[in-house]
Amino acid sequence: MSPNGQARGKKLTVPDNLYTIILALAFCAVLATAAFVAYQCYTQYGTLFEIP
Amino acid sequence: MSTLTKVLIVLLTLSSIFLCGIVVTYVANAENYRKKYLDQKKDYDAAVENKELAEKRENKTIEETGERELKLKSDINTLEIKVDRLTNDLDVAERQKAALIEEAGKWKAITRDFSDTNDKQRQLLEDTLAKLKTIEAEQIKADKELNETTAALREKMAIIDTLEKTSKQLLEEKTDLQNRLDQLLQQAGKIVAAPVSVTPIKEKVRVAPPTVDIGLKGLITTVDLENSLAEISIGAADGVKQNMTFHITRADKFICDIVILDVEPEKAIGTLELMDVTKEQPKAGDNVSTNL
Repeated sequence: MSPNGQARGKKLTVPDNLYTIILALAFCAVLATAAFVAYQCYTQYGTLFEIP
Repeated sequence: MSTLTKVLIVLLTLSSIFLCGIVVTYVANAENYRKKYLDQKKDYDAAVENKELAEKRENKTIEETGERELKLKSDINTLEIKVDRLTNDLDVAERQKAALIEEAGKWKAITRDFSDTNDKQRQLLEDTLAKLKTIEAEQIKADKELNETTAALREKMAIIDTLEKTSKQLLEEKTDLQNRLDQLLQQAGKIVAAPVSVTPIKEKVRVAPPTVDIGLKGLITTVDLENSLAEISIGAADGVKQNMTFHITRADKFICDIVILDVEPEKAIGTLELMDVTKEQPKAGDNVSTNL
């Protein structure tokens, strides 16, 4: 009886932290996109929310 | 965590990344409308300024055009007046030209006549010169004859002098002989009778020489009525001689006569005769002449 016997019998699964990372990645992408859009708006129009 | 949640997480992530990419791409490639607006506004302002400037220029150009039009109209009027004046001058000049051409024709005819007359005069001059040469030749010939005649005359004058001397000697001898004869006859109580030629001498009929008026004329210059003397303006140079009688007249009236006593080259002095005291007296300026 080896210690790894239990693992051989179990199904291989992705840990939940991976999905957390994926969500974080998505959040970062959205945040970067928002920052980029804000930067562009500020540089081009001088304001973020008002219509020049 | 259920499988559905996991799938949704993955899908959400993918869709988020996809959408974010789309947004980033769009925003990155979107035009800068503000800049474009500012550029267009700037262009618009510039266009408005250009329009105003162009309108000013147009107005200025219109004003200048009006001024030029007025100026050109005044110039046109002036030029039309000048054209009229020049047209009148041209008409006058054409008339003068026609008159001058006519006058030139007259002068041409006159010149032609003058040339003809000149040719005739030249021909006449040549004929006259030829006659003059002939006359000169005849004169030379006559001079020669005159010299010969003068020489012969001198010879004859010498002979006449000699004969006169001989005649004088003969007259002296004759007088001497006559005196002796008279003395001899007086002693005998006789006189000499006038000699009568045995045969009368008949002379041929001769025509009397013609008389010619002297024709001297002059003026009384000075009158001395107390001494009955007067001076006349002609003298020996004009042919006046002593004892010559002149008639003094005034207009058609006879005044008196003057008999010349003294003659000088340019004047003469004489006594007044036939002067009537009751009538007009001679005075300076009266005419004197040898013939009435």
